[in-house]
Amino acid sequence: MPMIEISNISASYGKHLALDGVSLKVGSGELVVILGANGAGKTTLLKVIGGLVPAPGGRITMAGKEITGVPAHDIVESGVALVPEGRGIFGEMTVRENLLLGAFPARAREAEVRNLAMVLSLFPRLNERLRQTVRTMSGGEQQMVAIGRALMSAPDILLLDEPSLGLSPIMCKELFQILARIRDAGLGILLVEQNAKQSLKIADRGYLIESGRIVGEGTGAALKGDPAVQRAYLGAG
Amino acid sequence: MTLLLDILLSGLVLGGMYALTAMGLTLQYGIARIMNLSYGEFLIAAAFGALFLFTGMAVNPILGLLLIVPAAFALNWILYRVVLTPLVKRAKNQGMLEVDSILGTFGVLFVIQGVMQVVFGGSLQSYSYLSVPVYILGTTLAANRILALLFALVIGGLLYLLLTRTRYGTALRAIAVNPVAAQLSGIDIAAASALAFAAGGAIVGAAGVLVSMFLTFSAAMGVVFTMKALIVVIMGGVGNMMGALVAGLLLGIAETAVARLVDPGLTIAVTYALFLAALLWRPTGLFGRPAR
Repeated sequence: MPMIEISNISASYGKHLALDGVSLKVGSGELVVILGANGAGKTTLLKVIGGLVPAPGGRITMAGKEITGVPAHDIVESGVALVPEGRGIFGEMTVRENLLLGAFPARAREAEVRNLAMVLSLFPRLNERLRQTVRTMSGGEQQMVAIGRALMSAPDILLLDEPSLGLSPIMCKELFQILARIRDAGLGILLVEQNAKQSLKIADRGYLIESGRIVGEGTGAALKGDPAVQRAYLGAG
Repeated sequence: MTLLLDILLSGLVLGGMYALTAMGLTLQYGIARIMNLSYGEFLIAAAFGALFLFTGMAVNPILGLLLIVPAAFALNWILYRVVLTPLVKRAKNQGMLEVDSILGTFGVLFVIQGVMQVVFGGSLQSYSYLSVPVYILGTTLAANRILALLFALVIGGLLYLLLTRTRYGTALRAIAVNPVAAQLSGIDIAAASALAFAAGGAIVGAAGVLVSMFLTFSAAMGVVFTMKALIVVIMGGVGNMMGALVAGLLLGIAETAVARLVDPGLTIAVTYALFLAALLWRPTGLFGRPAR
């Protein structure tokens, strides 16, 4: 059964149609990647799901409950956590404060201690830096804080907008391994990426998005072997 | 030596008032994102409230705080919900909200000032509460000033602890740091902004009562306090409570020193010289928070 189901979502900025009838679903314990070029509408899609951008007409359900048009702070309560582009962290605050804020939603309070232990075991580096101001940390460490903050809200579905952006290749590889571990723990992950190679390696399924429309869909392995995908996203001839 | 101590003590009292006032303004400006030009009017209104309670009903200003602070909180909450929320809703970006809120609260300034002129008249007002000298290390300070400073420190300290040691306080600061991430962390920005604005109003209400215990005031004086609070907020860094405290105390001591050592007429000039220096050399505040 799909955890989150998006049907027929359209969104526009002024006259520009950013999303045109997009439908997709993510199950629990499933890692789904969305591949697409810059400006294809990937970021807008995640913002719509996260409640930051309105999408009149479409329908989003989370565990069978409709969450269309719900404000962003209530979307979190339904179990959807978004790590936005630019990371969505509190740069002027400490790692500890960022993680504490992640557990602000009512749904997160009960499991707060357990989730903190989980986040710190996923990202041991954060454990050493709980008192550090996030702004002063490296890009990779900031991304750990961002994902940690989102995980602290006890989500069922994690939305990630280009988490590998600006990371070194080694960091990148480490990050995708951690995402796979989070998926294995039972969370659904919807990942927007330009790094098709790495993300398809761990993805269960994937969608291709082009000019605001879903133009292809398949399992991670199938997409990786698809010549069209290879040409467009994997840099093969 | 006595003169220096005298300047330091009087400066601390004045600076404590500035710091408290600035802490309230930084709640309104840093968290609720409203540049409230009528801020000082609420301070003067609270001072008149304390005057009325003291002279009319024999309620001392410290007890008056219990009445005036909740009233200021409620009035500011209503102001935010009725007048400012529509501006917040229609603003497409922070710049637009800033312009709209400046224009809107500029109007509120004249409404409150007008009402105070009608009710209390335009003349200078004061009352005498605990104006007995206290001897400290060879110099004297009026008891009401000491009491005002103590209360400013307690209220400011409590606010600081609430904002840094509680989850909801941390959430309020988080809005000033990154409003989008705050929403994504499940913080209801609209409700939190109303609360922060009202809390800022409550703080300036408290400052008004404390100031009225030892300063002469008139219905037209609000703008002076708005300007000084704004200067301290910018010097300390928007949204930075510790910055507001340090900058407020510095401004109070600098003003007092110039008034005593050079000429009282120069205090405003010193205020703006400090402000200009801060703008030129530390535009993001003494503690160097990045500007937004």
